[in-house]
Amino acid sequence: MNGLDAIGVRVEAALPAEAFGYTAAILREIESLLAGLVANGRAGRIDLRSLPLLPGDEERLAAVLGEGEVDADIQAMGATRVRETAVPGVWWVTHANADGQTVAEFIEVALVPEILKAHPEDVRAGRNILQERIADLIRGGETDG
Amino acid sequence: MADDRTLGEALAQRGISRRSFLKFCATMTSLLALPPGMAEVMAETLARTRRQSVIWLSFQECTGCTESLTRSHSPTLEGLMFEAISLDYHHTLQAASGTAAEAAREQAMKDNYGKYIVIVDGSIPLNAGGAYSTIAGRTNLDMLKETAAGAAAIISVGTCAAFGGLPHANPNPTGAVAVSDIIKDKPIVNVSGCPPIPVVITGVVAYFLTLGTLPELDAHGRPKVFFGDSIHDRCYRRPFYDQGKFAKTFDDEGARNGWCLYELGCKGPVTHNACATTKWNGGVSFPIESGHPCLGCSEPNFWDAGSFYQSLPTPTTSVTGAAAAAVVAGAAVGVAVGAVSRRRKSQAAKARAPLTVDDLK
Repeated sequence: MNGLDAIGVRVEAALPAEAFGYTAAILREIESLLAGLVANGRAGRIDLRSLPLLPGDEERLAAVLGEGEVDADIQAMGATRVRETAVPGVWWVTHANADGQTVAEFIEVALVPEILKAHPEDVRAGRNILQERIADLIRGGETDG
Repeated sequence: MADDRTLGEALAQRGISRRSFLKFCATMTSLLALPPGMAEVMAETLARTRRQSVIWLSFQECTGCTESLTRSHSPTLEGLMFEAISLDYHHTLQAASGTAAEAAREQAMKDNYGKYIVIVDGSIPLNAGGAYSTIAGRTNLDMLKETAAGAAAIISVGTCAAFGGLPHANPNPTGAVAVSDIIKDKPIVNVSGCPPIPVVITGVVAYFLTLGTLPELDAHGRPKVFFGDSIHDRCYRRPFYDQGKFAKTFDDEGARNGWCLYELGCKGPVTHNACATTKWNGGVSFPIESGHPCLGCSEPNFWDAGSFYQSLPTPTTSVTGAAAAAVVAGAAVGVAVGAVSRRRKSQAAKARAPLTVDDLK
């Protein structure tokens, strides 16, 4: 064996004709990111706004990925919607501004999307708040007694 | 007084959550065409960074550029950039005035020498010893040179600072020039537009703060990520151009049907900006979407490039024919049309054709 024969080739199953446009390419990238997530826990993200999507691509992509169990709304300088697709680990994240205009849209491949996680600094501040509230509660109880 | 807080601390004190900030960074990475995974890196980097000192110099200008950035609906993602910077001097926005205001600028320069960013809006008049525009008794030229000396980078915001703009228009009575005509030894980014798109200003600052460098620039010193495509390339009315469907007047059937505004003088084919993609007023629309041709306000000498309402290239054969060929031959014909347009624009600039009432009929 020499030359090009030495290069391993894996033949992918053909996608149905209706998946054409950029849908097939994006689905392949999502599959590749999922493989990375399974193998080493590395999360990934695809910026849908950066792709020259053709009419119908987004709808085809949504149809193939389907709807999962989680649909979360976040209010942070405008609404953000985080939807799990029917493919566990694949999330559809849509960011809108305060006027409701979509400003960014991502496919995120992760166990939990970053935007859903509480930040350690916020958790630290949250603990301080809780301690103050416990102290207030105890002081209030002593006053009542 | 110098602001030593990190951005993370400043955000916490303003009650802005980390989720909001992560969202801002995700939006910025998308706008700047950075790898999507950069959002978390940007958020962590900026949160730990001491807020960037920014000195904003307003020279021969109309304050439209500042209005563009600050007059958006609040709170906005774009507005978050004000949390990321320490705006140490901006004589329109700051509470201090007179000697105290100038002292703030001098203190910021001293505290952050070699590290601060200078944002300039407005052109710099050179005639009459610079007397056409002065601040605290000093010419714009003098203040620019002094402030630029300690800057890490300069962002020329608006067409006046970038290219001279309206004050530079023929016959240019004040001798107005651009920042880049004076400062030659500092990195300069031109964020042109009259006014520029707010998020483009924000994006350039975010890029610099995160990566410590400036984005790739085009031949006019503008960030390619926002100015790489022409308005025409990204216009939603482009299919009508390709089909040869044009509005001939502002109230004909073509105008009502939303057809291409090319024959009404649209400068989209020779204008590079992000209006067609980022749009204005929170993404509501942009001039062409509102039924008016692009004026080409982000290009050098746009004011002197002939009437706003005169079609750019002469449609010798017919625009329809050229457009049809463009569909077949791809971008090549589009480039050729653009070249004709630029040549005509250049000729118009030389033989200035003032706007007349007839143009508006």
